[in-house]
Amino acid sequence: MRPAGYVRRRLPLALAQVAAVASAVFLLAEVLPGDAAVVLAGDDPDPERIVRIRASLRLDRPLPERFAEWAGGLARGDFGESLVSGRPVLDLVLDALWPTVVLASATLAVLVPLSVWAGVTAALHEGGRFDRCLTAVGVALYAVPEFALAVVLIVAFGGLLPVTALGGLTPATLVLPVAVLVARPLCSLSRLVRAGMIDALASGYAVHASRLGVPERRVRYVHALPNAVAPAVQQLARTVDWLLGGVIIVEAVFVIPGLGTLLVDAVADRDLPVLQGLAVLFAATTVLVNLAADLAAFRSAPRA
Amino acid sequence: MRRLLLVVPLFVALCGPWLSASGDTLHGVSYDLGTGWLGTDFAGRDVWQQVLLGGRGLATVTVLATAGAYLLGVLWGLAAATSRRHLADELLMRPLDLLLAVPSLFLLLLLATLFPSGGLVWIVMLIHLPDIARLSRAAALEAAHSPVVEALRLQGESWWRTTVHHVGGSVARTLAADAGTRLTGTLYLAAAASFLGVGVPPDAADWAVMIERNRAGLLLNPWAVLAPALMIIMLSVGLNLSFDRALRKP
Repeated sequence: MRPAGYVRRRLPLALAQVAAVASAVFLLAEVLPGDAAVVLAGDDPDPERIVRIRASLRLDRPLPERFAEWAGGLARGDFGESLVSGRPVLDLVLDALWPTVVLASATLAVLVPLSVWAGVTAALHEGGRFDRCLTAVGVALYAVPEFALAVVLIVAFGGLLPVTALGGLTPATLVLPVAVLVARPLCSLSRLVRAGMIDALASGYAVHASRLGVPERRVRYVHALPNAVAPAVQQLARTVDWLLGGVIIVEAVFVIPGLGTLLVDAVADRDLPVLQGLAVLFAATTVLVNLAADLAAFRSAPRA
Repeated sequence: MRRLLLVVPLFVALCGPWLSASGDTLHGVSYDLGTGWLGTDFAGRDVWQQVLLGGRGLATVTVLATAGAYLLGVLWGLAAATSRRHLADELLMRPLDLLLAVPSLFLLLLLATLFPSGGLVWIVMLIHLPDIARLSRAAALEAAHSPVVEALRLQGESWWRTTVHHVGGSVARTLAADAGTRLTGTLYLAAAASFLGVGVPPDAADWAVMIERNRAGLLLNPWAVLAPALMIIMLSVGLNLSFDRALRKP
C-alpha cells in the first residue's frame, strides 16, 4: 500500500477518535452535579445568584442545544471562554503553547539522537561495559517519577544553573528541565534501538551485504539502522504521551508558564471550558503523533 | 544492592508508622536544621517522623490500584475474547480506545477534577484498565477459540469454569511478565498525582506531598525534600531492578 492510501484510510478514524474524546469530556462535565454557575458563585452560593449566572451563561437551555452550539464553536476554532478570567480559551492555550513547544522540541532534539547513538553503540559492542551500564541504568531509571528526579537535580546543580523559567526560557534554564524529561524515555528508546540493531546486524541481509564487500559503515547505517529504528519510532509515539505527562510535572517543578501549568491551574479552579479545550488539544496531538509514527515506521521498513 | 534499594524504602513505608514515636512531632520552627534528625518541614514538623509516616499511603494506593486494575481488566479482556458475537467484542473494546487517546497524567487530572470526591485508587485503576484489557484479550483470543473450550462449552460447563479457569490460565504467563512494569507504572502515577495535589489532603504525611510542600524551603532545609525524594527513587529503582531480574531467570 502507498503511504497516501494508508493516511487516507487512517485519518477518518483519527478524527472520529478526537471528536469522541471531546464529546465524552463535554458530556461527563454535564452529568456531574454542580455546573459552571455553581463554581462561579463561589464559597457562599446564593440560589438566586446561581440562577442568574446560569441564565447569563445560557446554561439553562436544553442539553442538545448547548451541545450543538459547543460542537459548532469547536469546528470554527471557538473553544469558549475561561470561567475564571473570562478570556477566550483559545488565547489562553496559544499563550501557554509556546513554552511547552520549546520544552518538548528541545527534549526531542536531545532525546532522539542520543538514544539512537547510545543504542547503536551498545549494539556494536554487545556485552561490553557500555552495553551493561546502559542496560542497568535503563532498567533503573525507567520508572523514576520526574518530580523526584527533578528535586534531586535541583539540590545538586541548583547553585550552578537557574531553576525557574519565570523570566522566559533561555538555554540555561532549559538544561535541568530537559535533563529530567529526557531521562525516562531515553532508557526505553535506547534499549529498543539496541535490540533492533542487534537483530538487524545478525539478519541475513546484513550478513549478505558484508559478504558482498559492502563497506561496514554502509551496512550499519544504511541497511541495518532503518530497520532497527522501526520499533523505536512506535515507542517514540508512546514517549509523546509520557512527554505530555512529564511536561505537566516538570512545568510545575520549574515554574514554567506552559500548558501543564495552565492545566494544573484549570484543575484547581474547576475551569471546565479550559479543560475541554486542553482535552481536545491533547487528544488531537496524541492521535496525530501515533498516526505519524505508524507512517514513519511504514516508510522506514515497508511491509505488506 | 538491588535488594537493599527495594527493602529499605519498603520497610520504611510499611513499618514506619509503627516506628514513628508520636505521630506528628511539632517543633514549631519551619525549616529548622537544628532540631530533630533531619530538621523540620514547612509547618515545623519533624522531617524524619514525616518520612516514617509518609510511605504507607503511597504503597497502599499502588498495590490496591494495580490489583484492582488487573482484576477488572482481565475479566474485561476475557469477556471480550470469549464473546461469540463480533458486536459484543467491539462494544467492549472500542470505548477503551478512547481512553488510550488521552495522555495518562492528563486523564488523571481530568478525572480528579470531574470527580473531586473519588479516590485516587479508582482513578489510577481506570487509567490502567484499557492496557490490561487489551493485553489479556489478545493473549486469550487463541485459547478462547480452541477445541477444548468449545468442548467445555458444549458440555454445559459454566462461564466461570470455561473462561476464568481454562482461558484465564493460559493468559496468566503473559500477564505475569507485564506485572512488574505495571506496578512501577502505578507507583509513578500515584506519586505524580499526589505531587500535583490530587486525591490527598495538602498537609498529608506523604512522600510526594512532602516534596511539593517543602520545595519552597529547599535552600533552608534540603533534607525535607531530599529524604522523601530519595525514598521514592529508591523504591521505583529497586522495584524495577528486582522485577527485571526475576523475569530474566524464569
